[in-house]
This record gives sequence, structure tokens and C-alpha cells, in this order.
Amino acid sequence: MGQKKWREARPREDYLRILNPDGSVNGAVPQVADEELLRWYRAFIETRLLETLGLRLQRRGVLSVAGTSLGEEACGLGAAAALRPGDWLHPSYRQTSALLYWGVPVDRMMASLLGHAPEHIAQHLPIPPDLAPKVRLTPYPIFLGANVPLATGVAFADKLNNRPNVSLVFIGEGATSEGDFHDGLGLAGVLKLPCVVVVQNNQWSISVPSSRQTAAETFAQKAVAHGLPSHRVDGNDVFAVYAAVQEAVDRARRGEGASVVEAVTYRMMDHNSADSASIYRTDEEVEYWKSLDPLDRFERYLVARGLLDDALKQQVRDEAEPQLRAAISRARAVPPTPPESMFLNHLNGDPGWTFRHQQRECAVELAGGNPFVDFTGEGL
Amino acid sequence: MSEEMNLIGAINHTLRQELSRDPAVRLVGYDIGPVGGMFRATEGLYDDFGDERVIDTPLTENGIMGMAVGMALAGERPVLEMQFLGFMYNAWGQFIYNCANLFQKTGGMLKVPLTIRAVFGGGIKPLPFHSESTEAWFMHTPGIRVVCPSTPREAKGLLSAAIRSDDPVIVLEHAKLYRAFREPVPTEDCVLPLDKCRRVQEGRDVTVLTWGNMVHTSVEAARLVDASIEIIDLRSLAPLDVEPMLESVRKTGRCVVVHEARRTAGPGAELVALINEYALQWLKAPVKRVTAFDVAFPENQTEEVYLPGVPRVKAAFEAVLAYEF
Repeated sequence: MGQKKWREARPREDYLRILNPDGSVNGAVPQVADEELLRWYRAFIETRLLETLGLRLQRRGVLSVAGTSLGEEACGLGAAAALRPGDWLHPSYRQTSALLYWGVPVDRMMASLLGHAPEHIAQHLPIPPDLAPKVRLTPYPIFLGANVPLATGVAFADKLNNRPNVSLVFIGEGATSEGDFHDGLGLAGVLKLPCVVVVQNNQWSISVPSSRQTAAETFAQKAVAHGLPSHRVDGNDVFAVYAAVQEAVDRARRGEGASVVEAVTYRMMDHNSADSASIYRTDEEVEYWKSLDPLDRFERYLVARGLLDDALKQQVRDEAEPQLRAAISRARAVPPTPPESMFLNHLNGDPGWTFRHQQRECAVELAGGNPFVDFTGEGL
Repeated sequence: MSEEMNLIGAINHTLRQELSRDPAVRLVGYDIGPVGGMFRATEGLYDDFGDERVIDTPLTENGIMGMAVGMALAGERPVLEMQFLGFMYNAWGQFIYNCANLFQKTGGMLKVPLTIRAVFGGGIKPLPFHSESTEAWFMHTPGIRVVCPSTPREAKGLLSAAIRSDDPVIVLEHAKLYRAFREPVPTEDCVLPLDKCRRVQEGRDVTVLTWGNMVHTSVEAARLVDASIEIIDLRSLAPLDVEPMLESVRKTGRCVVVHEARRTAGPGAELVALINEYALQWLKAPVKRVTAFDVAFPENQTEEVYLPGVPRVKAAFEAVLAYEF
């Protein structure tokens, strides 16, 4: 293990901040109904609870790998809250809050983390049509930049058919170094697509600091060369994220094209359970960011507004935790994915002779037979 | 009804027909608008269908690959033009992560009805990376179909089928065949299966497995040997239509694979492996591969020696015919 750590510069704080770390506000708070604010609060709490339970399951060996979005929840939440039914959401792996806000079923999320095949999950954890998320989702790509061109295509299809939908895509600051990010922004600019790209700048791409991703002063600046407007906001301030993304979404819906929003936040935990952030960054840095926690300040705001008290805090947790545990139990009760399911949904229609032959070989092997005894191609 | 067309004419005619048939069909690429494509595959289509059906894009192969996949997810049937197959290296990320992956990864919930047209193959002395034959890479990628028309009629049938398929389909169009010859092409709907090979000529002594321009090279070479040569045009490289190929090899006992792709781990390696596994006992001679060499596509003055030509194919026929175990 190396002794040297990165010395990461603190990001500039001359961004849009509405909600201060102490819960006070600067300027106008976005118009959000009280009931909606409590929906946000519940999604916040559910996200923390679920990710904590996920980490525990990883430590007990139930999940092979788990990550969290601790400290970054306001980015996914504030942005997702600016969408409306029919819109597209292209998440990365750090927007659990966005998924929970839109009601993505936790049992399915967990079954996926458990390594079940999608067909198997759909079969064992069906979603009643009225409970299906009302935004359309694409699975997160491991290479986060890959989502940006995809999101432009979805947005283009909506635009060409005069459907008033917006496509919201999340990537990290590291993925803005990928060509895909610029490929997508170029298309979104030239074709004036209803697309909003949120760069969730959590300062670290696994072990490489954001200062190692670009010599530009901010990630929002990367929009300039593509002719796109951009906002840079305090990503730990759910109101700032919401206000900026809402403005971008409204603009896109009016047919005025795409925008970029850089949400400046911090990855409080390891990249995931396979990482050890203490190797490459200092405790002092993490301590500083603790003081900027997005949930703490949102709670303070809600308390000051009289919308939240200790009893309600407890009630929200008491309601969320059993539901999450029940969803996890349902996921864990799904029987093992039959290995043969790897051959499903490879192509529409006949997948071909070699494919069918291999499928048969696999079945023979699983049944304890010898799959190598066909010397004529006539079958096993 | 049919009309005499060359291969590029058949492509243009098919694109026009598919654009008229289905409003979800949209052509995406660069240089496909007013100029009508580098080979004029889209000539006149921008004028007749407008810029929302024939969409000129910025120069980003990776970007338009990803964008076309996104359009396909959202109900369109994009036809993406990769100007040359050698330009697709730039699009490899979007091709693998999204195009080939999404249907499988979502358990069939998201479909990608995307057609990718790409000019491939050598013999026209163009600039570097305009002559690639990297079909093996696509054959090695699960979740896509790959077809290669060798005549104008085939081009219409396979391209129509590709556009109507719910899978991502790569249509490899050989540059040298675009204006090589004309044949009658049906003007009404003509849709060929995407997964069936075609027997070009029947024979008793040697089976030739080939596709693209090499079909014609093989036909010519077959005329020059005193033997009865069966030629199979694979048409579909993924998935492979294995049974008719094995059947033919069992009948003739000899096989020559002819392709423009490089040899090592090329498509021929898979074909020979299938024959080895499932038809060895019928062989009267080892299977030979007539291919390009394992070097980068050479300078124009050398391309005729690099690519398999009639003499090389003929020599392979003679060698397997003369062989005795």
C-alpha cells in the first residue's frame, strides 16, 4: 500500500446555493408544495436506510459488491423531482434517491444486486401496472459516459414525434473525460434536443481526484464549447439542484434544447465495497464534507418551517424500514436463477444453430451428461 | 415486376421503399443528406423525405451509434450509415455497451430495432481504413445479426429484412460490388430471411463457403478447374446457417473457405472448427482457408496480392482436389 495520498483542492463554492448547511436559505426557495417536500424527505430517508442495509448484506456475504450514494442523495433527488410522468430517466449507480423518488421497486433493485437474470426477476417479482414507475428508465451502464449519446437518441425520438418529454441523464465528473460525453453534447446541441445532462461531481472517480480530470475551472464549462447553457450548483442543496434542473427541464420542454447542470458534491464513502478510500484521500477532507451533509440541512429547513419534528422523523423511519426489509426479503426469497436463462432474449426469433447447440450442450452438462459426444452435428 | 439495378441502385430503391412504408424508418449518418452519400446510396432521399427522415449528423460515429440506439428504444427504426466499416472503430463503445447489450441486459424489455449499413471490403484502391473486413469481430459479439448481400437482389431482400427486424442488424455492403453488375430486382416488397445461406451453384467435388465479393471470385475460379464446385454464399454471418454447410461438406468431402478478412481468428477459423467438430469423418482432404494475410490492409499497389484473387482460389481448389490421405 502506498504512503502518498492525493491532496484534493476544495471545489469553488461560487455556485448556486439556496439552502445553507445550517438550514437557512439564500433568496427564493423554489415553489414546492409541503406534501411534495415530505415526499422528498421520505425518499432521502429511504435511500440512506436502503443503502445501509445493502452494505450490511455485502459484509455478511449476501451481496458480492455494494455501494452507496451517502452525501450525494440531493443530486438524484432534486433532479428527479423536476421530471414528470412520461419523461426518461437514465441513472448511473449513484442515484438511488432518484429511483426511490419515482417508485422503482426495491425488491427488483435488490434482486438485481443479488445477481438474478432480468427475466427471472420479472417472473418472480411482477409489478402491477398501476405501480410501475411513471418515468421510463434505462439500465445504468458501467461506463457512465455511455448514457449520454443514448439519452440524446431517446430525446430525439420524442422531439421528432412532438412528444413533450424530457430525457434526464446522470454521469459523474470522471465520465466527462470520456468521448461519449462530448459526442452526446455535440448532438444535443446541434439537434436542439430535449435533454438535460447532470454531472454529479463527487470529487472522486474511484481514486482519481476531479483535479485530474480537467484543467478547466469547472465541469459546467465543458458545455460552453457545445453551445449549451450550463448551471453549477451546490449538489448538497436539494433546492439548488431542483431549481437548476427544473429550469433546464422547462427549457428543454419548450423546445429550446439541452443543458448541462454540474452538481458539486462529495462521495462520503468508498467507491464501493471493493474500494478503500483511506488509501488515497485524507480524513480531514471527509470531515469537512460531513459539515455540508445534504440531509442534515434539509431536515433543519423542514423543522424550521414547522413541517418536521422528532415524532415525524421517527414515524418516517418506522414506516420505511419495515417496508425496505420486506422488499429485501422478497428479493432474497426469489429462487436461484436457472442457469439456462442466460440463453433467453439473445435475439428476437431463432438465435441460430450454434446458439441452440450450445444451449443443448449446457443442458446436458447440467444434467450430468457429456456435452462433447456429438461428432456429426445431429444433436445430443 | 422487376427492374435492372446495380447494388447501389438496389440499396437506394430499398431505402426509398422502406421510408415510404414505415414513418418510423429514419436514416441517420453524415454525408447522407443533400450530397446523397459517398457512394450515392441515399441520393434524392433528402429531397423527397426531408431532414427529419434523412438526418445528417455531426461527425461522431460513437455519438450517432448511441443516438440511433436511443431512437430505436423509443420506437423509431433508425438506419444508421457507417460510411466505411473502418470508421466503426470509433463507435465500438456505444456498439458494445448499448447496441449489442441492451436487449439481452434488460431481459428483452428494451428492443433495439436498428440497422447499421457499412461499406466494407477491398479492391477499389481508396484511402487507408476504407477497405476493412472485420466481420469476425461482429460474429464474436452476441446479440446482433450480421448479413452480407452479394448481388443487387440480395441487397434488397436483406436490407428490407434488416430494417423490419427487431434486432440490431449489420448490413455489410461490399464497395466493389456497388456498381459491378446489374440484375433484375423485384420492385414490389422483397424480404429475405436474415439467417439462411444460399447455394450459388451446385457441385459434387468441393464445397466453397464464402460471402460478399468473394462469391464472384469463387464462381470465376470454379470455371477454371476441371471439377464440380459447390458454392455457398453464407449471406448471414451471425447467426451462421450451419446445417446446409455441413450437409454440403458431407456430400463433397472437400471444403475451401474464401474470405477477405484476415486469417487468424477470422471467420474461416470458426467455419473450419465447425467442420472439424461435426463433419470430420466425411472429409477427403483438410479444409483450406483462402484469405487476406495477417497484416494491416496494405497500400493500393499491393492490395491485389493481399486480397484473395481468382488464381489463389483456383490453387486452393486444385490443392484439395489433389490431396490424398
